[in-house]
Amino acid sequence: MKIINFCKALILLVAFFGSAGFAQSNKVLIVNSEKAVYRYETIATEFKKVLQQNAYQWAEFNLDGHANAEAELKQLIEQENPALIYCIGTQAYSLVHNVAPNKKMLFSAAINWRRLDVGAGTYGVANELSSAQELSLLRYFFPTIKTIGLLYNDSFSREYVETIKKDALASGINIINKPINDTQEISGALNELLPKIDIFWIISDPVVLSNKESVRQIFQAAQQQKKPVYAYSDVYIEQGAVLSISADIATIGRQSAGLAMMAEQDKVPGGTVQSPAGSMVTLNKCALDALKLKFNQDALDSVNKIVGCDQ
Amino acid sequence: MKRFWPAFFIFSVFVTGGYWSAHSEVRPTYYFYNTETNINNFATLKMGFDIYLVNHGGYLLQPFDLRENFEKVIHEKKGDVYLLSSWHLKELQQKKVPLEIALVGTSKGNTTQRKVLSAKKDIVNVAMLKNTVVAAAGSEEYVHSILKQILGKGQEALLKDIKILIVPKDIDAVMAVGFGMATAAISAESGLDKLAMMSPNQFKELHSLGFSEKDYLLIAATLKKPDQQETQLLEVLRKMSETDAGVANLKMLGIDGWRAVQ
Repeated sequence: MKIINFCKALILLVAFFGSAGFAQSNKVLIVNSEKAVYRYETIATEFKKVLQQNAYQWAEFNLDGHANAEAELKQLIEQENPALIYCIGTQAYSLVHNVAPNKKMLFSAAINWRRLDVGAGTYGVANELSSAQELSLLRYFFPTIKTIGLLYNDSFSREYVETIKKDALASGINIINKPINDTQEISGALNELLPKIDIFWIISDPVVLSNKESVRQIFQAAQQQKKPVYAYSDVYIEQGAVLSISADIATIGRQSAGLAMMAEQDKVPGGTVQSPAGSMVTLNKCALDALKLKFNQDALDSVNKIVGCDQ
Repeated sequence: MKRFWPAFFIFSVFVTGGYWSAHSEVRPTYYFYNTETNINNFATLKMGFDIYLVNHGGYLLQPFDLRENFEKVIHEKKGDVYLLSSWHLKELQQKKVPLEIALVGTSKGNTTQRKVLSAKKDIVNVAMLKNTVVAAAGSEEYVHSILKQILGKGQEALLKDIKILIVPKDIDAVMAVGFGMATAAISAESGLDKLAMMSPNQFKELHSLGFSEKDYLLIAATLKKPDQQETQLLEVLRKMSETDAGVANLKMLGIDGWRAVQ
């Protein structure tokens, strides 16, 4: 009888320490580059909601709230020993990468993640939709479009433009791209490009978009030649872009949480960086009507925001 | 005297604003909440409907992003006509809320739809979805319930081992499979038609693992047998498909017309 009781006690002890150990091991540390940034905070909020639903524990560290962030973060990591560190923003990722290079890490909201040092223990959700996603959606909203034109700088965007061309080819869309070295070349390049295309695509190229004047030139030329402009961000809607497609930020937070849980349990290969799964679509109906552009009316239920002429 | 005009201006704004907001509260209203999408295009939706309705009875549309707030309005019996999903209506009817279907939305002549669980062809059965991500649009409760229905009693145990990724809309869910962010997707059958149009190659890679039961598209319901005012509200809805502006608004809701239930 005593042996049976001893065994029961032993099982209870093992169960207790086992669960305590598990709770410790699945703790996630969230490092936010700047809590005041709405985008970052929305991502963090959605991330925590999913963790909570799955009974995960977490701790938080906001870089903007600490005078000596590096030392304090290091101390917190030693103290909490998280199974995974979730970095929101490039600053958070760079710091964590220096302070705890051997920890499992997951990033999101990092600008140009391909320039980050992504190792085997690193996972991520990209900040931008892939060009293939954008092209698929663009084709859905404007089924008649066959030729897209874009300007880019070879040093900054060559690889991206090559990917766009490859993805476009697979979608049966023709891309006409023109490299420029500085903004002085924009006007001439547009004059040559616009007559040959159905729509102009503004990509996130720092040379093409280096100042307000270059953006104004693009929209002015497009308007003169009655060509629609599609943009990667809704900030260009106000200037006259007919459509913008970007990543949905709340989905990035939820997607990151799912990936974090899978990574923590080693159910996804190290180095996995996913494209965002949710899109945010803004349609400029005013520009659409002015250009008499054919838009897929059945796609209206997939548009997040429609902007009219009085907005 | 210098102080008079600013004070008068503030007073006027306050009074007229108060008057109009009070006035707007008594205007007959369509209350809208949809468990099947997270698109949250409420500003666009409200503006589109309100502009259309100015010349069609002067009614208003009030969309909700929170289920609790929408249901609160029903419980307070504030609404005249409620626009909601069939799934949500059944949930409320089970809780003894006396909502009755007045009109059902139509899309390309259909009043019903099925939800489909689709995955790439190397996922041959639902058992292979263990420890994977399934993408879907809609409220979590709704998605969970539909997935449970599709899996059936035999595979219900799988639910706890499937991670659901909530995305804004159907096309995001089906694209998530093609681009590797999810192993499977739950969408309306029309979601797959959209994928076929957007990305025929991705569409060819998918197959269906299961279907939900057929259900109505969006529903227009009332709390009782429609009175004269509610009948007028329903009539305006029903006639929306007769004008381009009306159809454009309906398309934002994923339908192209309304039909009375026999």
